[in-house]
Amino acid sequence: MGGLIEITLGIMTAVGGFVDVSELVFAAQAGSRFVFSLIWVFAISTVAIAVFGEMSGRVAAITKQPVFNLMRQRLDLGPGIVALIASVVTSIITCSAEIGGTAMALKYLTGLPYSLLAGLTTLALVGIIWALPFKWIERLFGLLGLLMIVFAIATVKIHPDWGGVARGFIPQAPVSLPLKDLVTYGYFVVAIMSAVLFPYETYFYSSGGVEEQWKPKDLMVNRMVAIVGFGLGSLLAIAVLINAAVLFRPEHVDPAIIGTSALEAAIPIGKTGLLLALLGMVFAFSGAAVETGLSSAYSLAQFLGWEWGRYKKPHEAPRFTIAWIAAFALAFAILLTGIKPLDLVEWAVVLSIVVLPATYLPLILIANDRKYMNQHVNGPVSNTLGWVFYVMICLAAAAALPLYFVTQGGKL
Amino acid sequence: MKPDASLKLLAEVRDLQIVDRDGRNCGVCDDIELDGKPGGPLRIKSLLVGPGAYEGRIPKWLFWLVKRISGSRVTKVPWSAVDKISARIFLNVPGEKVGLRVVENRWVRRFEKVPTS
Repeated sequence: MGGLIEITLGIMTAVGGFVDVSELVFAAQAGSRFVFSLIWVFAISTVAIAVFGEMSGRVAAITKQPVFNLMRQRLDLGPGIVALIASVVTSIITCSAEIGGTAMALKYLTGLPYSLLAGLTTLALVGIIWALPFKWIERLFGLLGLLMIVFAIATVKIHPDWGGVARGFIPQAPVSLPLKDLVTYGYFVVAIMSAVLFPYETYFYSSGGVEEQWKPKDLMVNRMVAIVGFGLGSLLAIAVLINAAVLFRPEHVDPAIIGTSALEAAIPIGKTGLLLALLGMVFAFSGAAVETGLSSAYSLAQFLGWEWGRYKKPHEAPRFTIAWIAAFALAFAILLTGIKPLDLVEWAVVLSIVVLPATYLPLILIANDRKYMNQHVNGPVSNTLGWVFYVMICLAAAAALPLYFVTQGGKL
Repeated sequence: MKPDASLKLLAEVRDLQIVDRDGRNCGVCDDIELDGKPGGPLRIKSLLVGPGAYEGRIPKWLFWLVKRISGSRVTKVPWSAVDKISARIFLNVPGEKVGLRVVENRWVRRFEKVPTS
């Protein structure tokens, strides 16, 4: 019974923690621009994050080592340092975007100034991480992030063309579109892939496995959370896309600001829908801010072999503590420069996909290494899927920067 | 694996997390120091820990940058202090005894003055 509760809570936490500001923004824009034709990218990327998430949790449970420790050993020191710098920079920019998104949602709820709310959000998050144990931090944001289910309820209420939605799951390239739109479509494919597969997710997930001292007996929970939790979580992002296609596309509304997405719940459900959507966004985005802020500290501490982890008191892992507080301070400082959260989202997804190949290669290599993993080495299914998705990520990484510049970040 | 087993040195020891007898992280094995004469067998003398050991492993410009940021200290951990090696290197002594955890402990002392949960 205890195991069942553990699995259920793990799945719920994964669902509530799945959607972050970049997924929300790209899902809404994808729906309003390309109707249902980008659903397949969410679907495929979700299978990929489930495969890599499961792998990183399994490696953490068996070797007691999170991804970043192993990355250095497999990539060698020089490329490892480059990957470290790129990962930390990406995580901090993403953290900044998530804090900005949270502050925007809070601004709609309270009417208070954005900068003040961004500062209060940063302080509150630092306070929560300082005071609460890891499991509580993860569950608090994950479970409250479940308010995002209001987007799925809205989808059911607006009666979309379910046949069209189903066809959206089939991989496609709308070749009939003019070249300009086709290139933008390509940019969205890459951006969505990056937003779903953000490298911080595996850093955080595998570090969490070590934080919670997973053992081989926890592998079933790990597998269920990765497959079911991420799968259901992805449905929320797909719901945002469908709502945008049905509600915004006919009216030529471009959900270019974060608040527009909240209207997806307000139109069919009313005031309660709007309130739940905004609150869901506050918890989902701030949960992602916590994950990214901690991930940058996890990466640094693990690469350099410091004491790390929230299961230790702050003074037992002092350099790790300084690192995550500094990450939040830097993320807030970026917001103070006046850069819009949505621009940060664009940079975060483009930088992330460039970092991804360096993150996932060591993971597949270790998960395949019988010397470390014994009988828990990759099976044929996760191995095949892992390599297929790895090639996909490399192709997306190569295309990311050219597509970003050609489409001016999807604004073409 | 036991420390006297034959090792594929670079692949299996370098860049691994070092954990001391008390289960505390004590840095990463940044390089190894070998002992031996031409024609004779080579033995590991010590594990090198600290940014100074990056020299020769990374491009010069990057080492220059690392040195500016974190100095160039190197601690030599005698091979006899190694208990076993798996995905981590386990020591049979507390880290302090072989010169590790110097910076970590300095910060621990500073932090002990701050109230924690």
